[in-house]
Amino acid sequence: MAANIPTNFFSWVSFLMEKYGDLFLKGTLVTLEVAISGTILGFVIGLLVAILRTIPLPQGRWYTRVPLKILHFLLNVYIEVFRGTPMIVQSMVIYYGSMMVGIIGRGTPVLPAAIFIVSINTGAYMAEIIRGGIISVDQGQKEAATAIGLTHWQSMVHVILPQAVRNIMPSIGNEFVVNIKDSSVLNVISLNELYFTGKSAAGSYGRYFEAFFIIALVYLVLTFTVTRLLRLLERKMEGKKHYTIHGSQSDSASRITVSMDGKGK
Amino acid sequence: MSEILEIRHLEKSFGDHLVLRDISFSVGQGDVICIIGSSGSGKSTLLRCINFLETPSGGEILYHGQNAATSMKRTRYNSRVGMVFQSFNLFGNMNVLSNCVLGQMRVLGRKRDEAEERALTYLEKVGMSAYRDARPAQLSGGQKQRAAIARALCMEPEVLLFDEPTSALDPEMVGEVLNVMQDLAGAGMTMLIVTHEMSFARDVASRVLFMEGGVIVEDAPPSSLFTSPRQPRTQEFLRRVLARQL
Ligand SMILES: Nc1ncnc2c1ncn2[C@@H]1O[C@H](COP(=O)(O)OP(=O)(O)O)[C@@H](O)[C@H]1O
Ligand SMILES: [Mg+2]
Repeated sequence: MAANIPTNFFSWVSFLMEKYGDLFLKGTLVTLEVAISGTILGFVIGLLVAILRTIPLPQGRWYTRVPLKILHFLLNVYIEVFRGTPMIVQSMVIYYGSMMVGIIGRGTPVLPAAIFIVSINTGAYMAEIIRGGIISVDQGQKEAATAIGLTHWQSMVHVILPQAVRNIMPSIGNEFVVNIKDSSVLNVISLNELYFTGKSAAGSYGRYFEAFFIIALVYLVLTFTVTRLLRLLERKMEGKKHYTIHGSQSDSASRITVSMDGKGK
Repeated sequence: MSEILEIRHLEKSFGDHLVLRDISFSVGQGDVICIIGSSGSGKSTLLRCINFLETPSGGEILYHGQNAATSMKRTRYNSRVGMVFQSFNLFGNMNVLSNCVLGQMRVLGRKRDEAEERALTYLEKVGMSAYRDARPAQLSGGQKQRAAIARALCMEPEVLLFDEPTSALDPEMVGEVLNVMQDLAGAGMTMLIVTHEMSFARDVASRVLFMEGGVIVEDAPPSSLFTSPRQPRTQEFLRRVLARQL
């Protein structure tokens, strides 16, 4: 071992890769796991919050509005608190807070706690993003839904949110990319994510630059790949560009496919 | 004639701005009531109050003698009183057939098969069954409005409210929509129609309401309202409008 101590940047990089490659891979998987589950759960939280925040206030006597106003107030507090403080601080407060009140013990794995923290943080951002998406959908859509007798919940789920989400896909994708990067702050609660593994590897030989050079490359590959995949998904969601006309005057079983540019095929 | 709707002393203000004042009239089975009046007279607000898209500030709306605001679920009432909008408002995220099926399944609890069958029946009626797979964005204005009428009909409402259904259409498409509405009137559908199409009102309406400044100035059959309006304000409005239209 002592015989082949690396002597330059490139040999250090390949030395660290050989020795810590598996560890980095595990860290990458943890990072992805936290980012993916945190984004999905955060999205669900954001949807729920957005649906609740858009419930119209009842028009009856003043006290019928009180419960909803309290709910709206609490949701606003949630959003302000989680958007107004850094996730690294939220991690410490939530993790050590839960430990203090005994929700989690010393031996409990940190991964669930980490996913919880990222989800609740992302939920606050998603709630605002989705609210923007809802506002971007024409008011007439909600009115038409109401006019045929759909409830607020049904109009949201079947009519408004599908259109809202399509409009905000780029921002949702962006949250995912942010989570890949920002899950690194969870090293403060000793989560074995990518940054944390880099720190362990770097510390053993004091080669910080080489270790974090590798880590940076991995982050870059992750975010670059995810960004491309999301762009593909966005294009997919733009929907079908053609439709079928059923039947014609001469032949009721005929089918004509019309594409958006107006040409039949 | 049994009354489906009775509007009593309806009032609506937006802040300090009183938009509807002491509106009273009733809608019986089979009535085709056209509401005319210049822009800003409160016609849309009246329709929107009748199906509670706006909350009335005063007065009441009786549905078969019961207070509609307090005696029944809003969603049920809305499924009985349909609405067709000036800007169509077809659900942009689904095709024409799904537009017609959604309310039937979610509000009326019909099974998909039955809902699709009825949807096709009504789409056929408005001449849109061939376009069942098209998305709203792929249709012309006239086609959108006919699909929107089919969507409303699918709920089998007792009354249909129309808010200027042809005002957003290119002139050559106005006819196809008016024809559909005329067929509905012929089939006995109860309708409340805000329109600027005076010849339609004259030929199809059983009654015409003239509104100005948030009040109903005159409520009469088209034969007398168009030929011998009683109120000076109606005469003045008709002189302005009919010179252009009839
Ligand atoms: N949501 C609203 N807020 C404030 N004022 C409104 C609103 N809707 C309508 N109004 C006012 O009410 C009056 C009547 O409008 P409207 O019912 O749309 O008239 P019409 O349909 O006859 O053209 C207008 O002066 C309009 O500015
Ligand atoms: Mg209007």
